Amino acid sequence: MAKFRLLPDEQLARSPFKQLWREFSRQHSAIAGLLIFSLFFLLVLLSAVLTPHDPYLQNDSLLLLPPSWSQQGLVQYPFGTDDLGRDLFSRLLVGARYTFGIAMITVMGALVMGLLLGTLAGMTKGLKSSVLNHLLDLALTIPSLLLAIIIVAILGPGLQNTTWAIMLALLPQFVHGIRNAIAEQLNQDYVIAYRLDGANNWQVFSRIILPNIWEKLTLMATMALSTATLDIAALGFLGLGAQAPTAEWGAMIADSLDLIYIAPVSVAIPGLLIFLAVLSVNLVGDGLRNAAKKRREN
Amino acid sequence: MILYLLRRLFLLCFVFIALTILAFSLGYLFPGEPLQNFTGLRHIPVNQLEQLSAEYRMDQGYIQQYLGYLTRVISGDWGMSFASEQGLLQEIKRLLPATLELAAYALLISFFIGIPVGIIAAIKPEGAVSKIISALAVTGYSIPIFWWALLLIMIFSLGLGWLPTAGRIGVLFEINHVTGFMLLDILLSDTQHQHEAMLNALRHMLLPTLVLATFPTTVMIRFTRDSMLEVWEQSYIKTARAKGLSRAQVLYRHALRNALLPVIRQIGLQFSTLITLAMITEVIFSWPGIGRWMIDSIYQRNYPAIQAGLLVISTLVITVNMITEILHTLFNPLARKR
Amino acid sequence: MKLTLGHTITMRATHSVLPMLLCTIIAVVGCQPQLPQTVRSGLVYCSEGSPETFNPQLVTSGTTIDAISQQLYDRLLDINPENGELIPGLAQLWQVSNEGKVYHFTLHPNVEFHQTEYFTPTRPLNAEDVVFTFNRIMNSQHPFHQQGGANYPFFQSVDWADLVTSVTAEAPNVVKFELSRPDSSFLSNLATDFAAILSAEYGQQLVTSGELALIDSKPIGTGPFRFKEYQKDLLIRYYRHKNYWRELAKPEQLVFDIVPNNARRMAKLFTHECDVVAFPRVSELGLISQRPDVSVQESTSMNIGFWAFNTAKAPFDNVKVRQALAHAINRDAILQAVYFGHATAANSVLPPTSWAFNPNLPVQQYDPLQAKQLLAEAGYPNGFSMDIWAMPVQRLYNPNALKMAELMQADLAQIGVRASIISYEWNSFRRKLGAYEHDSVLIGWSADNADPDNFFRPLLSCSAALTGSNRANWCDANFDLLISQALLTPDQKQRRSYYMAAQQYLAEQMPLLSIAHSQRFQAISSDIKGVKINPYGGIALANAVKDVE
Repeated sequence: MAKFRLLPDEQLARSPFKQLWREFSRQHSAIAGLLIFSLFFLLVLLSAVLTPHDPYLQNDSLLLLPPSWSQQGLVQYPFGTDDLGRDLFSRLLVGARYTFGIAMITVMGALVMGLLLGTLAGMTKGLKSSVLNHLLDLALTIPSLLLAIIIVAILGPGLQNTTWAIMLALLPQFVHGIRNAIAEQLNQDYVIAYRLDGANNWQVFSRIILPNIWEKLTLMATMALSTATLDIAALGFLGLGAQAPTAEWGAMIADSLDLIYIAPVSVAIPGLLIFLAVLSVNLVGDGLRNAAKKRREN
Repeated sequence: MILYLLRRLFLLCFVFIALTILAFSLGYLFPGEPLQNFTGLRHIPVNQLEQLSAEYRMDQGYIQQYLGYLTRVISGDWGMSFASEQGLLQEIKRLLPATLELAAYALLISFFIGIPVGIIAAIKPEGAVSKIISALAVTGYSIPIFWWALLLIMIFSLGLGWLPTAGRIGVLFEINHVTGFMLLDILLSDTQHQHEAMLNALRHMLLPTLVLATFPTTVMIRFTRDSMLEVWEQSYIKTARAKGLSRAQVLYRHALRNALLPVIRQIGLQFSTLITLAMITEVIFSWPGIGRWMIDSIYQRNYPAIQAGLLVISTLVITVNMITEILHTLFNPLARKR
Repeated sequence: MKLTLGHTITMRATHSVLPMLLCTIIAVVGCQPQLPQTVRSGLVYCSEGSPETFNPQLVTSGTTIDAISQQLYDRLLDINPENGELIPGLAQLWQVSNEGKVYHFTLHPNVEFHQTEYFTPTRPLNAEDVVFTFNRIMNSQHPFHQQGGANYPFFQSVDWADLVTSVTAEAPNVVKFELSRPDSSFLSNLATDFAAILSAEYGQQLVTSGELALIDSKPIGTGPFRFKEYQKDLLIRYYRHKNYWRELAKPEQLVFDIVPNNARRMAKLFTHECDVVAFPRVSELGLISQRPDVSVQESTSMNIGFWAFNTAKAPFDNVKVRQALAHAINRDAILQAVYFGHATAANSVLPPTSWAFNPNLPVQQYDPLQAKQLLAEAGYPNGFSMDIWAMPVQRLYNPNALKMAELMQADLAQIGVRASIISYEWNSFRRKLGAYEHDSVLIGWSADNADPDNFFRPLLSCSAALTGSNRANWCDANFDLLISQALLTPDQKQRRSYYMAAQQYLAEQMPLLSIAHSQRFQAISSDIKGVKINPYGGIALANAVKDVE
């Protein structure tokens, strides 16, 4: 190589994203999490095509069919049917859309709103900011389920209403985190230098702050995604969220609770899926966090 | 310090006022007549309508109505429950201790298990023990609580028949409500079969407490571990090590205190999640606490109860938050400046 | 403050804390101590819902009746569960005179009322109590008449106020009822769980103290158990009535553990937290019979599960629409999926075991094509949207209304009717039904006595429509005429012909679609003896004995 190396380490020459990925891919658990996560993500996109049966079709002649691995099971119905003769496998596939897909949408929504409000809070100073902060403190103290209960009480139960509730419940964390991150950035010397160059607020925000808080945003989003999935499932389970016959996983557990002795599979599998989905998100989140830490240390 | 406390107190008042405004506006936002939602009387006799309207200042502006509401809340007149037609405050007084009892035991467990395990995991971050702990922690962190509770019930109650599935104590035991905390009440009661009642209550308590403790314990493990690792990197630890102190000495004298400080703060921040989880746990184990009551209130369209529940639960969370923050500050003067 | 509290506890508890802790540490799970008598001989009945009140006069709901009627109260007459005949209750003997318009009842001597923390009786039951009880229903000047909204649904549905002109005490132990016309169902109605006898002395005490409302929430009766406490949605606690005039109740304590969720109720049976369980799920009967520690009791029961249309609302006011909807429902699928075959398809509201049953009714056919045609004739070729209200709890006549509604939703979709399923918590549900907020509802009726009138007047008469217990909100002069004429004659043959005609008329008008007559089940722990299913009315638990080894 050349005599003069501008950078001491080849690693540093790579883009931050590549460095992050490098650290990330060194962790087995994170990669496993990412795989499962992608699987669920594909499921959300493709479940409508993948289902072997109509998940809402009631088949009177095949009530409570046991799973295919038992003696009386049928191969066409891998997990058997429920008490109305609907194919459990298809329902579980579609359920990914409701529980996991809607959780993603919720997080997206909360992220966008959080970015708006957080920026507003972070970039402004004085009374406005102080009032906003205190309101945030208030919002942070209301447990998400309580918020959902209040919204359901006003609007009535349903998946859509609980989506709003969860979005609202996630929002304060986002605003809080984003505001702090922005405030931290604003104090950096390079921001001041850039401002002295004549950059306006928008330029500071889009050129410097956003690229620098990107990592933090992703982390927050993964954490929020696991919370949102658990909350949607929990609300469905309590009967406040998705309503029958919607094949949301939490609601499916509540539905099949009555069959817990006859068909324990119908309780066990939706729960397992929720668990796996949340686990994958958490593994990815942990992996990202570790990778980010390691990258900064290097 | 006094100034700091005063500032906190002022903030508490501010948040409380915002909260009551929210609760008050719910009276209008909920379906049905605001007067019914405020009084908690579903059928208001015609001859009382006028008198009640005047009493609740329904004919005046919103601000007057709100002030009236605030006075009533402070004086303890919280209206009635649609469902039971009892005073809400009395009902909450009966239910809240049950929730607090459950949450308190779960928090204690998470303390006594989470912190030591977290420290162990931090000693050798790349070791096998630490890996196993991390794996368990992320599992506990990801498991949906209602499913976890059902699994435990299926195994320990239905499968093995060891533990009961619901309630705080066998229904045939009649324990007078004194403090509302079951174990205390049993000790205070003058029945001759205290032993049996106590044992019965503990058997009832075991599963719900375990289920509820799962999440905070894993949070505690992860947080203690991370916090320890971070502290371990600090220069004062390195200095202490360089001075020749042993690992255990450093851990005990320098690292622990600094690592546990943020943990205290964490309790406050996690408390709101804990209450959410407690509500779900109560529903599954038919635990007669305020969470189950709130969820039943939804099914029963019991709006006054939801309004009062919001006020109580949020106040509780805010207070705990505030207390942990003050404690945190007390031990860590650095935080006061902010 | 805190310190002193802690101090007293330690003072009191030191002698028990140590062994307790030891016991706990050794095995929270395994330790089985010797239990005290009140706990050991106590009985836990897991019921499916909270009672609305503690006075049977005010309700028709089976949940409430099961919980209060047979436990707290006695009636003038009782029904022999073996054959449905009337037998003496509080009335030792009775005479009918003046062409069935005057009844004399002689009361049993020395019947004691409950002694509780809030009431101590000074005298046994006498004629005044009976007069007090029935005047509350019919006399608007009675101090308690307005309590609970002056609503006495069962009595209003059988036209009580119009039928009974006076109730008087002829002697301390003789009561005279005067009727405006003969009524062949009068005695049967006195034997229903609704006709419980209250205490006039307790009423007097409440008038004096001004706490009138307590009469229905802190009950006093003469029944085998006395009231101890009620925690809403949690439990009802009764203790044995020590001075009961008949054989004393076997359990010293009786607790109704309120568990609305079916699966949870079953779980509590399996973990022996419950001794007797109301309405085990029919789908799990096989499972229960496999276990040695629990058993199932089965008996035929007089009941009907039906789908009632709110006939006062469009489009259900159109008979063609109602018939179309009836034809659209696949009842065989429902019998399989909801009743698991433990029910017979219903052709009439009246069960086939009743003597007035009409065997010549046409069988209701499942025929979506005809249903579509009828809809088109009624002017709805493209169908319409409607609500199906499904009750949230399991009842004898309908073990799973929500599931039934889901099945019907799919059936109705085939004829272009878009149904949405609505359910509320049970008490709100009944309240909203009473206000006729529904389009259609899945509900039913269990007989309180063996008289066929019990299936017609409380369910479908005009007076029932007024009180809100006529789920079809149906008031038809022809039908009312048929069933009231049947009451005027004591001749069974003639009554039967009226009831046959009434059933025929119902099949044509279709205010409700009869779905099934179900068997009644009850699951009990094997160490419990002496609990029997009563085909009429509520459950009696006074003779239950727990085997303690």
